Amino acid sequence: MSATQILLSQATQISQGAEAAIYKGRLSDSGLDEEDVLLKYRFHKGYRHPTLDASLTKARVAGEARALLKCLRADVNVPAVRMVDALEGVLGIEWINGKSVRFLLGGGAEDEEVTEEMADGENLPEDATEELEDQLLEYNVSSDEVMTMIGTEIAKMHLADVIHGDLTTSNMMLRLPSPSPSNKTELVLIDFGLAYISTLVEDKAVDLYVLERAFSSTHPASEPLFAGVLKAYEIRMGKEWKAISRRLDDVRLRGRKRSMVG
Amino acid sequence: MEVYRYQQFPSHLATVHVALFDNVTNADELHARLIRASTLTGSEGETEREAVNFAFIDARLIASIQHLKAAVYHAILAATQGGLKTKSVHSEIIWTLNPTNNITEALRRYGVSASSSSLFVVRVDRPLDGLVERLSTIVHGTLVPLDSLKDMTNWDTIKKHYKLNDEPAIRNAAGDKDVERRKIDRIVTSSVATKIVMG
Amino acid sequence: MPGKIRKRSPLKPPERPYIALGLEGSANKLGAGIIKHSPDGSTIVLSNVRHTYITPPGEGFLPRDTAQHHREWAMTVINDAFKKAELSIHDIDCICFTQGPGMGAPLTSVALVARTLSLLFSKPLVGVNHCVGHIEMGRQVTGAQNPVVLYVSGGNTQVIAYSQQCYRIFGETLDIAVGNCLDRFARVINLSNDPSPGYNIEQMAKTGKRLLPLPYATKGMDLSLSGILTSTEAYTLDKRFRFNENSREGDNDNIITPADLCFSLQETIFAMLVEITERAMAHIGSKEVLIVGGVGCNERLQEMMGIMAEERGGKVFATDDRFCIDNGIMIAQAGLLSYRMGFQTPLAKSRCTQRFRTDQVHVAWRA
Repeated sequence: MSATQILLSQATQISQGAEAAIYKGRLSDSGLDEEDVLLKYRFHKGYRHPTLDASLTKARVAGEARALLKCLRADVNVPAVRMVDALEGVLGIEWINGKSVRFLLGGGAEDEEVTEEMADGENLPEDATEELEDQLLEYNVSSDEVMTMIGTEIAKMHLADVIHGDLTTSNMMLRLPSPSPSNKTELVLIDFGLAYISTLVEDKAVDLYVLERAFSSTHPASEPLFAGVLKAYEIRMGKEWKAISRRLDDVRLRGRKRSMVG
Repeated sequence: MEVYRYQQFPSHLATVHVALFDNVTNADELHARLIRASTLTGSEGETEREAVNFAFIDARLIASIQHLKAAVYHAILAATQGGLKTKSVHSEIIWTLNPTNNITEALRRYGVSASSSSLFVVRVDRPLDGLVERLSTIVHGTLVPLDSLKDMTNWDTIKKHYKLNDEPAIRNAAGDKDVERRKIDRIVTSSVATKIVMG
Repeated sequence: MPGKIRKRSPLKPPERPYIALGLEGSANKLGAGIIKHSPDGSTIVLSNVRHTYITPPGEGFLPRDTAQHHREWAMTVINDAFKKAELSIHDIDCICFTQGPGMGAPLTSVALVARTLSLLFSKPLVGVNHCVGHIEMGRQVTGAQNPVVLYVSGGNTQVIAYSQQCYRIFGETLDIAVGNCLDRFARVINLSNDPSPGYNIEQMAKTGKRLLPLPYATKGMDLSLSGILTSTEAYTLDKRFRFNENSREGDNDNIITPADLCFSLQETIFAMLVEITERAMAHIGSKEVLIVGGVGCNERLQEMMGIMAEERGGKVFATDDRFCIDNGIMIAQAGLLSYRMGFQTPLAKSRCTQRFRTDQVHVAWRA
């Protein structure tokens, strides 16, 4: 067994998605201050030709690591990278102590199975907003502040020409104030598995649109919340906002997709 | 001195010994000795190379223990995968610390040089006894706890080597030294961790 | 699954048998099919006739010639369908036809036939979205309940899932369709168009051994194929390329055969398709996947999709060439479902459209 396989076998699996399994582990088993790391393992896909599988895995682990590094330099709150084994398809990043924004906004846990039939959203409890503020109490922030943080982080990321590719409230975490290095609640963007570099206004607008759709599907009656995200984004983007705003309007009209020919 | 164990690595690479020396007085001598060891031939060469079989790292360029450990980890990983870019796991640590792929430059910047006054000494091996005594005959200086590093780091040089001065992460810190250092540390540690895929 | 609430289908069981004629001609296949929905809830395919316009190797089908083919064969194919069903046109409830998407001229030629029949025999018209036809027939044939649908054909490449009376497109091609990509490559290496270029690529790929590096372009749930086609074509100009060697002598790694290219093309493209399908399945939490459209006949694609579904603890549903490849019966099926919900297409609104997105259809018959 390779070193990284042994590392995984000693770690605890947290979840498994379509392309990767998530583990919590430690790189070294000694040293009192040894910190937890999150290990993202892009496992082998049986349906793919082995050669193709190996080269894709390698390219993607490398791509995700690069996107994180670019974000760190651009002052975007993302997990720091702890280890990369592209051959084995493992990326080790800093463990973030906190919860997803999706959960904190009452959108349920990530793995919770919600069928279309249930998701009609008509019988939202009336005290939903109250509950929401309760959840955020521990983090010492209001939901408006969270929206501002989201808009600001995305803007910093876009200013560095990093496109996240999968912006949802599940892919944002609030880090608890105490272990956070700044002693303030931080919003951390996670899961850069689909991220890429682009300077195109179109790609940035679509990135925002994907988030807007995610907000409306997971958090009913979220228009005022999302408006807060866009406001903070606008302020941070400065003169680049105008073009993106115009394109976002276009994208909303046509949906994410272009009109189809034949 | 600290000892870190990595069960996932083969036993001859699973134990990492890290010592930190301050007030080092024989850095120039040590530097010369390392060069000579690499050119000596025969059994004399082998003995001498074993005597200095450590990574000697200028502590001024290390942002945190985390930073150093990231480089050590990747050097060992490369060794287990047959992917060493340099001659040994010890020189690989130094190569990994440098943002470019130039081995000579890495040794000049991160290795021991005449101007070094604080040194990390790293040995990747099986658990070794009596290492501190052995080291005290090689390095003339004070053995200090690893957290003494916080007074040794030269942040400006790190920023220069990693070209961080114009990055938003540094500019946004707006002169707040604590914030800035924390950010530099996160960036350089992550850079070291991702170096093998940056090519 | 605990806590899952199933809504009752808005589609009531028919109080009497309903019969529909479906006419399809959006590309080079002309199809006529007759379907029956009975009060006991059963659906019976009474007939499903098809005639394909086949062009010589190296040539694609042009809209004008394809429309000409459809006009020439329309009466034969429709008569044949009624004969096999042992029915007359007076027995049917409605005439369903493909309103889009597809090639303009062939679509129009078949719609003209539908309108004429509708006026001659006073039968209501039902315009059908071609993609929805594929999905509904696939669900009917396989019994898949709420699958993620991969729709792959000469003109379309989409990953679709049902949500709130709409077939939402989760991912799709950003440039050319999968079938188009395969067909065009078949032309480059001069493969026969009989029975279809895609079938011949599939057969040839079976002897391919060498996986050549090709661009791999998925972007979230979308994908891009034109770059792969260009790169695969470029290999035919490589000096290692041997046009006439289909089996290599021993293990000669230094040559590239047409079979290697077919193999590499399929492996790469299908891996992309399976990947975006899996992403959509993970996204909506579905364990079923249904493959429809002409490329869906490809057994390697079905096999790869099967491995993926199995790894997820799910299941893949696919149909054979009778239903995968464009046909009339699927138009009849989708048309009859919406007819039973009270939908008809007035003559004045029976114009065809080359652009007709899957998500524009109101899926009234599902909960």
